[in-house]
Amino acid sequence: MRLVIVTILSVLFSLSSLAQEIDFGDYSALYSISLTELSPGMNLNFGTVADNEGLVSIDINDAKIYAIEGVKYLDIIVDITADQFLLLDGNLSYASDPTRRIELTMAAAYANMGIQDPSQAIIFNVFGTTASAQFPIKYRGNAPPGPPPTPVYQGYDPTVFNETAYLYIYASINLPGGIVAGSYTGNINVSISYD
Amino acid sequence: MIRHFFTFIFLFIFSALVQAQDNNVTANINIEANVIQSIELITVNSMTFGNTQPGQEVIYVNPITDLNAGYMIAYGTPGAEFRLDYELNRQLTRIEGEGFLNFRYELSANSIEDQTSSELIEYENRNLRFNSEGIYYIWVGGEVNLENARPGNYEGDFTIEIDYI
Repeated sequence: MRLVIVTILSVLFSLSSLAQEIDFGDYSALYSISLTELSPGMNLNFGTVADNEGLVSIDINDAKIYAIEGVKYLDIIVDITADQFLLLDGNLSYASDPTRRIELTMAAAYANMGIQDPSQAIIFNVFGTTASAQFPIKYRGNAPPGPPPTPVYQGYDPTVFNETAYLYIYASINLPGGIVAGSYTGNINVSISYD
Repeated sequence: MIRHFFTFIFLFIFSALVQAQDNNVTANINIEANVIQSIELITVNSMTFGNTQPGQEVIYVNPITDLNAGYMIAYGTPGAEFRLDYELNRQLTRIEGEGFLNFRYELSANSIEDQTSSELIEYENRNLRFNSEGIYYIWVGGEVNLENARPGNYEGDFTIEIDYI
């Protein structure tokens, strides 16, 4: 009896990248991230200002603060986009009317040493209406990156590996005079994901 | 003779792309500012007394009825409430040298440009409101006692403060 065994091993690997970098972002679904307002419901409010008051700033001590909870040894990317102007009654058609818009300059900072402390915060570079920063949830100083994240296993408790970083959003507006009286509104959007 | 052909096809397809759950988190921050128009106060007419008669002891300029009353216009945010403050008593100094007069001011105001229907600004009604065009009209009068006053010309300023409430 002749037994002919034909074995065809067809192994198809579909690899989209040959880079040596381990991109944890691809696996970030395994790790949670949360964003919590420290003072929910409060707007970034400049209060009552005169039309010719000049530069009015909300500084970091009065900033809107968010707690970012995530895996402490992973980097996150924070992208912030702000409106260029606050508009009278939020009416978009006033964006081209210098008397019914107020120039907005956004500012942001993060503190990743484990405590909520504006004095430890590192300020984002702002380019026009956008700002972006990449940083680990927990500051690691000059030390090299830690070991890879602990894999998920039975009984895995992600909170053991979690730490909290803090995000500060603040802004200034400029009132050169000749601004029509009324209520002006705008928005800043924040987006956070693992690297 | 039986030929057995075992064909094993191992097809390993690895997809390096993990089924990503979207765990990107976002937040939206509302920003607000309430703009009020800065207040401007314009003096249209200064108060004048004219010449006094010999023996006249008191000069009184009625802010409601007297054409010699000073006239000022305040501009601000339409409909906004404001508080008006002024010094009731001021000293007028004699230009030629020593001597002064005490002057007690009286103000009347109106949301329309009509002096005769204006109302005296008392301590209890100093909270006022700009009209729908953001204007308020103010007339300035007062009383000065000339007893013991030296002949000459006197001058002094009048300070009025307006703040939004």
